[in-house]
Amino acid sequence: MDWNTIDQQVSTMIQNNQPPDVLNLNAFASYAKDNLLYAAEDVLSPKTKDDFLEAFARGGEYRGKLHGFPILSSARAFFYNTDLFARARITAPPKTWDDFVRDAQKITKLGGGAIGYALPLGPEEAQAEWSIWMWNNGGDWKSGDRWAINSDKNVQTLGFLADLANKHKVTQVNPGKTNRTDGAFQLFKDGKVGMVIGFSPLAKQLDAEGKVKYAVGAMPANAGAAVTLGVEDYLMAFKKKGNQEAVKKFLDLYYQPENITRWITAEGFLPVTKSGLTQMSSDAKLKPYLDLLPNARLAPTTDPAWDKVKLDVQQSLGLAVQPGGNPKAVLDKLQQNATAESGR
Amino acid sequence: MRRAGRTVAGQLVALALLAPYLVMLLTALKPEAELRTSPPRLLPSDWQPGNFVTVLADPGFQSWLRVSLVVAALSTALVVVAAVPAAYHTARRRFRGRTAFLLLVLVTQMFSPTALVVGLYREFFELDLVNTYSALILTNAAFNLAFAIWMLRAFFASIPREVEEAAAVDGCGRLRTLVSIVLPLARPGIVTVVIFAFIAAWNEYVVALTLMTDPDMKPLTVGITSYVTAYVQHWNLLFAASTLAIVPVVILFALIEPYLVAGLTAGSVK
Amino acid sequence: MLIGAVVLFPAVELVRASLSRYSITGLYQGAVGGRNYARLLQQDALGPVALNTLTWVGAVVGLTLVISLALAQFLDLEFPGRRLVRWALIVPWAASLIMTSKLFVWIYDYYFGLLNRALVALHVVRGPIDWLGDDRTVMGAMIGVGVFVSLPFTTYVLLAGLQSIPGEVYEAARVDGASGWRTYWAVTLPLLRPALVVAAVLNLIYVFNSFPIVWTLNDRNPGFGHDTLITYMYKIAFKSALRDVGLAAALGVVNVLLTLAAVLVYLNTVRWRESFEA
Repeated sequence: MDWNTIDQQVSTMIQNNQPPDVLNLNAFASYAKDNLLYAAEDVLSPKTKDDFLEAFARGGEYRGKLHGFPILSSARAFFYNTDLFARARITAPPKTWDDFVRDAQKITKLGGGAIGYALPLGPEEAQAEWSIWMWNNGGDWKSGDRWAINSDKNVQTLGFLADLANKHKVTQVNPGKTNRTDGAFQLFKDGKVGMVIGFSPLAKQLDAEGKVKYAVGAMPANAGAAVTLGVEDYLMAFKKKGNQEAVKKFLDLYYQPENITRWITAEGFLPVTKSGLTQMSSDAKLKPYLDLLPNARLAPTTDPAWDKVKLDVQQSLGLAVQPGGNPKAVLDKLQQNATAESGR
Repeated sequence: MRRAGRTVAGQLVALALLAPYLVMLLTALKPEAELRTSPPRLLPSDWQPGNFVTVLADPGFQSWLRVSLVVAALSTALVVVAAVPAAYHTARRRFRGRTAFLLLVLVTQMFSPTALVVGLYREFFELDLVNTYSALILTNAAFNLAFAIWMLRAFFASIPREVEEAAAVDGCGRLRTLVSIVLPLARPGIVTVVIFAFIAAWNEYVVALTLMTDPDMKPLTVGITSYVTAYVQHWNLLFAASTLAIVPVVILFALIEPYLVAGLTAGSVK
Repeated sequence: MLIGAVVLFPAVELVRASLSRYSITGLYQGAVGGRNYARLLQQDALGPVALNTLTWVGAVVGLTLVISLALAQFLDLEFPGRRLVRWALIVPWAASLIMTSKLFVWIYDYYFGLLNRALVALHVVRGPIDWLGDDRTVMGAMIGVGVFVSLPFTTYVLLAGLQSIPGEVYEAARVDGASGWRTYWAVTLPLLRPALVVAAVLNLIYVFNSFPIVWTLNDRNPGFGHDTLITYMYKIAFKSALRDVGLAAALGVVNVLLTLAAVLVYLNTVRWRESFEA
């Protein structure tokens, strides 16, 4: 279903006490908090439950119990246009942020509308782009149990991103108002852009069009080893009178290795089960992403406050990279809202 | 000379109105790799009329089209049948609370469907009508009825009372007067209402999105968005489907437009 | 009857929801009386959003009426090819609002859009303009689309109004020796008034409630800087950190009252009772 409208549909159903039986969504914790969901013990066979990859199963836990059943995953990866790299005489993808800025400048200097880096901080997925840069500077969403959105490191990171746009001028126009799907990705698909953070469905589209030569690598890091963002989608089973048996049957069938793997492969996503990982590791196309999975980190999806923090980030982060924007003020406000939300 | 000038001006107006849709049509004829190019080009360099075939052959598209046609046609019929008597009554009779009635009708228009979907869902769920044609037909009819009554009322009001009185003198009953005298005079209004109700139902999105969750019961507006999501971007197919979705409305219009003109002539000859 | 059944029930539900508290998932958590309304007034974004709405509704309805009046007069004339123009007029109306909005996103695009390409080629502007990203142009770009899609309906209502004016009236005016403009002011406009009132009132309501255009053209902009009350309501319910159905319902009720007030004020100024008696 379409992510843009699903929130409204689901909310409507729940307001009317008529939730769906099962639902595939990219958030679960608020639903678990409202006690709307079955836990894994109630509806999953032990065999299915044990097949989940450790990290993804942990990402679906609320109060120590699995409520958001992993259904598919994807990992972001660093895409670069090899033609533009060759023309700018760049021999290897950047490893550090200094390299990154220099390479982006070289590509922008090629002229003819070339863009060093496509930075999407518009409302669609700002939290994803931000997570990756934040982590590669050694920052994080939280420190221990507390939100740390406005830590010094994070302020520095957002300042760096704002400089890309306003000082170095190596991004597309108005990065704070560019979405990923119809903005940054389109520019990369047209061959205008040197670098972008993408994921496997983008690779699929690029291959289908055959217009742009590209390669996939690790993120440039400013602290420690390169980190990327893993995203996990969940299947949730809603508690309704008399549906437990039916849901159980459905899930057992759904999670049979051949079924779930076929579906994941068709869409260009990555597995969430051990059996799926073994099966898919032979696929050369998926190798770069599967290699990234061990270093992938998840956003704090298990925190019920996250569902609101994410929306807050989406609606405000872009303002920080506008000319005259104030990264620190934006992060301070986010931190304040997140802390208030958790305290509730 | 003056007529020729008008023709040229008319063509310019038509061009201005159609230009964006020309872009849509031409984009629908492009292969995926040509969708975004810099500098942008209006014409495809590799024409792909096959996009339209792909869409027409898509079973999803066929079922969306079916749902849209049924819903739009039936809800329009319902609107006309209900609106004509109501409008005539309010235009001719002075009954207590007439003003209040007209205002109330208007107030129903002020609720944005976006705000009402939650309640609508509950209502139709209780009636066990979620995912049925009836749900969308009733909703569309209800939302468009207010407009229809207001519109037709204005028309009935502008028909001189003397015409009816003359008919009454000639010995016509009230019903006959309405059917044979007043309705033909109000024809431009009725035609406008038909077009309006049909188009509004044809293009309704928010309510359909919420009430029709079964993939087989989605209308066109909801269905075609599946061509472009975060994971697939078949803009050319989306635009091809949208172009096709305009066609039935234009056909409907072509069919009833002559009556609009006929209504006028009938009115002035008498 | 039908209207009552279909519209009133959800409307009552809306009012009830506005008096309740809901969790982020939409789960009902009890009644809170007027608290949602009080909270609504505390939202920082409310002022600018209300101002945006005023600009949006005023500009779109005003421009639409003026242009439509001219168009309707023009289409009332006889000339070869008139039918073509009428057919063309139906197209922006026949296309769903969402599609037209997406189409304009496409046309307005900074890098790939044909509008910039055309303007640069014609030397109207020196470089491309980020129509939907630049704070100075977003509202104008949206108003342009709003007027464009409102023209067909309005023109049609006015055209139908013009055509129901009996020819004898003009004859009589001519016999009385009235000039073209005088006939227009003294005869056509007054007779057109019922249609004008209908067109203005309905446009007022539709434009105020218009969701797809602002939603689609503004979807890249963070925050609420270019939202109208309707898209703001949707964002409160589903897309912002508030994620609060109760608060959104309160705004929904306020929206209806605002529209009602605007319509009443308008009807009062045009002395609608008179037009009822016409």
